[in-house]
Amino acid sequence: MIELPKGRSLLKDGLRRLLKRKLATVCLVVIAAYFLLAGFIYLAEFFDWQIGPTLWQEQAGESYAPPSSENIFGTDIFGQSVLRKTLYGAKISITVALCASLVSIAIGVPLGAIGGYFRGFVDEIIVWIYSTLSSVSYILLILAFAVVLRERSILGHKLTGITAVYLAIGLTSWVGICRLIRGEVIKHKDRDYVLAAVSYGCSRRRIIFRHLLPNVFHIVIIDFSLRFVAFIHAEVILSFLGLGEANRPSWGAMINDARMELSRGVWWQMAAATAAIFIISLALNIFGDALRDSLDPKLRVL
Amino acid sequence: MNYGNRLPWHGLRPCRGWLVVAAIVAAIGLCGCGGPGPDEEPNEMALHHVLHTRIKGLDPGDMRDVYSIMVGSQIFETLYDYHFLKRPYELIPLLAEDMPEVSPDGLVYTIKIKRGVYFQDDVCFPGGKGRELKAQDFVFSIKRIANIKYLSPNWALFDDRIVGLDEFREYTKSCKSEAQVDYRRTVEGLTASDDYTLVIKLKKPWPQLTSAALADISTAPVAKEAVDYYGKDIISHPVGTGPYKLNVWRRGSYIELVRNPTFRGELYPSEGENGDAEAGYLDDAGKPIPFADKVVWTVIEEYQPTWLLFLQGKVDATVIPKDNYGEVMTERGQLTAKMKQLNIQLKTFPDPSTFWLGFNMADSVLGNNKPLRLAINRAIDRQKFIELFFNGRHLVADGFIPPMMGCYDPQIKQKGYARYDPQEARKLLKEAEAVYGAKLPTLKIAMPGTDTWSRQFGQFLERSLNAVELEVEVQYMDLPTYEEKVNTKSAQMFASGTTAGTPDAQDFLSMFYSKNASPGPNKFDYSNPEFDRLYEKAEVMRDCPERDELYRRMEIVVLEDCPAAFLNHRVAYVLHHDWYKNYKPHAFAYGLSKYRRIDLAKRAAYKELVRR
Amino acid sequence: MTAYIIRRLLYTIPIVLGVLLLTFVLFTVAGGDISLEIAGKGATQQTIDEIRQGYGLNKPLFFSWDSQFVNHFKNALTFDFGRARDREPVIDKIKRGVGASLSLTVPIFLGVVIISVGLSLIVAFVRGTVWDVLAVVICVAGMSVPYLSFILFGQYFLAYKWGLFPVFFSPDLSMARNVALPVLIGIAAGLGGNLRFYRTVMLDEIRSDYVRTAFAKGLTTQRVLFKHVLKNAMIPIITRVVLAIPFLFLGSLLLERFFGIPGLGYLMVEAIGARDYFVIGAMTYVSAILFVVFNLITDICYVLIDPRVCLE
Repeated sequence: MIELPKGRSLLKDGLRRLLKRKLATVCLVVIAAYFLLAGFIYLAEFFDWQIGPTLWQEQAGESYAPPSSENIFGTDIFGQSVLRKTLYGAKISITVALCASLVSIAIGVPLGAIGGYFRGFVDEIIVWIYSTLSSVSYILLILAFAVVLRERSILGHKLTGITAVYLAIGLTSWVGICRLIRGEVIKHKDRDYVLAAVSYGCSRRRIIFRHLLPNVFHIVIIDFSLRFVAFIHAEVILSFLGLGEANRPSWGAMINDARMELSRGVWWQMAAATAAIFIISLALNIFGDALRDSLDPKLRVL
Repeated sequence: MNYGNRLPWHGLRPCRGWLVVAAIVAAIGLCGCGGPGPDEEPNEMALHHVLHTRIKGLDPGDMRDVYSIMVGSQIFETLYDYHFLKRPYELIPLLAEDMPEVSPDGLVYTIKIKRGVYFQDDVCFPGGKGRELKAQDFVFSIKRIANIKYLSPNWALFDDRIVGLDEFREYTKSCKSEAQVDYRRTVEGLTASDDYTLVIKLKKPWPQLTSAALADISTAPVAKEAVDYYGKDIISHPVGTGPYKLNVWRRGSYIELVRNPTFRGELYPSEGENGDAEAGYLDDAGKPIPFADKVVWTVIEEYQPTWLLFLQGKVDATVIPKDNYGEVMTERGQLTAKMKQLNIQLKTFPDPSTFWLGFNMADSVLGNNKPLRLAINRAIDRQKFIELFFNGRHLVADGFIPPMMGCYDPQIKQKGYARYDPQEARKLLKEAEAVYGAKLPTLKIAMPGTDTWSRQFGQFLERSLNAVELEVEVQYMDLPTYEEKVNTKSAQMFASGTTAGTPDAQDFLSMFYSKNASPGPNKFDYSNPEFDRLYEKAEVMRDCPERDELYRRMEIVVLEDCPAAFLNHRVAYVLHHDWYKNYKPHAFAYGLSKYRRIDLAKRAAYKELVRR
Repeated sequence: MTAYIIRRLLYTIPIVLGVLLLTFVLFTVAGGDISLEIAGKGATQQTIDEIRQGYGLNKPLFFSWDSQFVNHFKNALTFDFGRARDREPVIDKIKRGVGASLSLTVPIFLGVVIISVGLSLIVAFVRGTVWDVLAVVICVAGMSVPYLSFILFGQYFLAYKWGLFPVFFSPDLSMARNVALPVLIGIAAGLGGNLRFYRTVMLDEIRSDYVRTAFAKGLTTQRVLFKHVLKNAMIPIITRVVLAIPFLFLGSLLLERFFGIPGLGYLMVEAIGARDYFVIGAMTYVSAILFVVFNLITDICYVLIDPRVCLE
């Protein structure tokens, strides 16, 4: 009896190839670590556990104490431990990036799929919307949105500063993913499997969600991992410009404070925050690249 | 098989691109190298200042922000101003001939204008020559502020004061635009009985007329020719009577004033207070002013670059940036050796300011819960605040009248309104909970600013109040949002402060007068009939010991009710080079550049010194 | 070909309309009432109402001939942006800031493009070797450092500590000296991402059949790279380059803010802080117009390089 090799889906195949590359696996571990840290902090705050990062407010030393055996990263103006603040900052950054990603995927993917599939007038409108949005400089748009969204209420729910930021970033970033999905859907629309589905009377919604999207979803994953980096960096810039989380430690706020602190020789807050951002960005960049290479259908073996 | 992979490295000639790249990078690098910029003429005397925010405009009627006033006061003059050297601060005539003649009922002021004062030469005048100042110019300036189409923020000063002026304002509402207002319409209380006599009739006695209004830059005379000629562009074309005129204004970065050649001339004062002669302030007594040919302001928003420029000798004076304090002052409050080596001088002076965390008395939680307000007061360690944020330089605010005011109560500290007592705070909080009837909700503090300083200040407040188990949330917002929130009474607590413009404590007291509720100066929405009664009595009194007594009583009434936690009074520490002469800090007057002199030899010597 | 161009031109009209609608909704409708701030402290309700009327803020939003939107539209078309909150005409502010912004962004742009395209050719050539890996590592590392950190490090070490460059904009220094450090930082920070992109483009080209043929024919490396690969990689390169041009005008918000360069980016940050919607709206509109224009130019360039595009 001849053993027929089992067919593998693109994703599974990609995953397999991915894990074969050691560097990519290491990066995945690093990324997972950040996410776990953020998750842990959420859990700790929910259950009110008083350990590690949630104790960031505690006075761990003198004001502006340099790195020492007690405080590896030194302290800030109130004597709070910079190490704890840095760990806590992971929560903010991951949350911002995650929420923004979700918002932009939630808007961009359906719109892209609908536009790409239906073409015609609906497509024209969608293209018009995203062309308009993309003709305005990214930072400008985020700033404008964030400033305007602050202090407004949506469905009776008051928007705090940081929520407005998540929304603002998400609302301006869906364009990229929308374009990509639309392009892919257009390409796939005339493929055999879609025509087959149409011929047996499959409803359009089913076609889009059950057939098309799973086949173009790898694009979303790749885009997600690369966008994530951009969102983390965006938080830093927005923090500098006065938007963003002000009551809790965040990497952006720490770098921002560094401006004043550097001139009195306090370099540790900035170094810690930059290092934290650098590591996750590096990991995501390498991982994203590896992902792109492994999910590239052209490179599939079998 | 991919042949591209293994071609030898040496097979590739250096790309032309490389050379271009190298050239660009080298060029950029070379540009930046080298020392500081070009020196200026050694014989020209120019003052160099730094502004930390750009100025808004140079139109006196429209000026309200400190920086515009700092620049504008060298160009424009007012009827009265404060004596440069005398203390306690004394109001003296500047454009007026003498102090005003006041009628016995205090309602009519007759002021004689100096003769021979000319507006600077400008194209708006026929033949380009500035004409002589007349009393009608003052009438015009004040009417202009009353013109509602002009949208002056200074109207509040004259609201309901001068006979007939409010009716004039009503009239301007019916005009279609600012330019269409007919200024020849008479206002009964604002007339020029002849070219050199101004008569003002008030609706009720206003003892602060001369100090608060006639010494305020908004009443500086403006030539109608300039307004007609420049229209809305008058903010960049100031035409004044003062010792300097505008030469260059690169908005947002650089302002240069030059000596006004047709200035009528004045003399440096020959009298001062005790100790002035020893301090060298009378060295130039009797000499004609201004000394400096140019006054230059550079706009630099950050303190670090300012500090560097100061050390390089390119800026005459600066405040000490918080983060460089250790470089400048020793633990014992002396100048460090480095500063002494450079002959840098330090001047300290308390300025008439108070800063506070205000409570909205109309708020449902704070309004009728005095124990809560007192608890917040007890929970804040003012001394620690001053140490962390102001290098320990400022003074704790035990009341809200600053120590340099004449009516300041020297016993106020003993009364203990600002003492730090977390134990008592906790006790008071329990009482507060009983009053509120349930667990206290999270209180919100509105903070005007999102920069590092504001955030650290907010964190400090948070930590202080969390330490006594009171939950707070600080909301950071930009200034316009903050003002809107406070003006519409939707802020629960807010961080604010003010500086007095005159030596009269009324500026501070008017903040608690119930008729001044938001959007007026009474942002606390405080109302106390006893206070109002005393206020109305003091309002029409001239400066005298009885009035001081009334002021002190009013302060106690307010402190008892606790509508705010008063934090600190500012003390300014200013560093200046030793070649910058005649710098005596003044709390109220701004037009002092005319007195400053540069010792050119000393400055040249300094520049050599720092050139290493 | 002309039909194509006209089609593209017509297509820009709804985009411009869209931008106008966007700025209107953002700044007029959702932005909130600014008459309160203009009136200043201590103003009565009456003064505030007067101001509102003066600015035309009490007119209906959309549905009338004199509505706010119609006025907004008319003003934008005639480039009449009115006066900013501090009464200076907005157009003057823009004119003033353009020079400073361009003197910062153009050198950065040129530097980044020339260096990254040049380097990408070299790197594509030596791919697979240690140099390639090193280049990729440096790029990715560069992309992973937050922009703000670049600026802070640069300003602190190169200007403040070692005194090689001025720390902040100084009007009495030449413009070249003022922008030297920000340009250096801008190039350093921008190289990573761009180099990677161009490298990918080059690599894609190098893998194609015609390149293999060319090598097989025995052509030298230079000829292959410059004559064939570069030309074919031009489309994505040009897209990226030309589309970056409109954003040059806005200056770099961060660099300008940190170094105090009085350009349009600085203006924007200030306007946002002061909620000066007149200025923000005007700048958004101008940048959108520029983007649309350059998009058109890109499309025309495409046609010139690859005539097949017309048939789309």
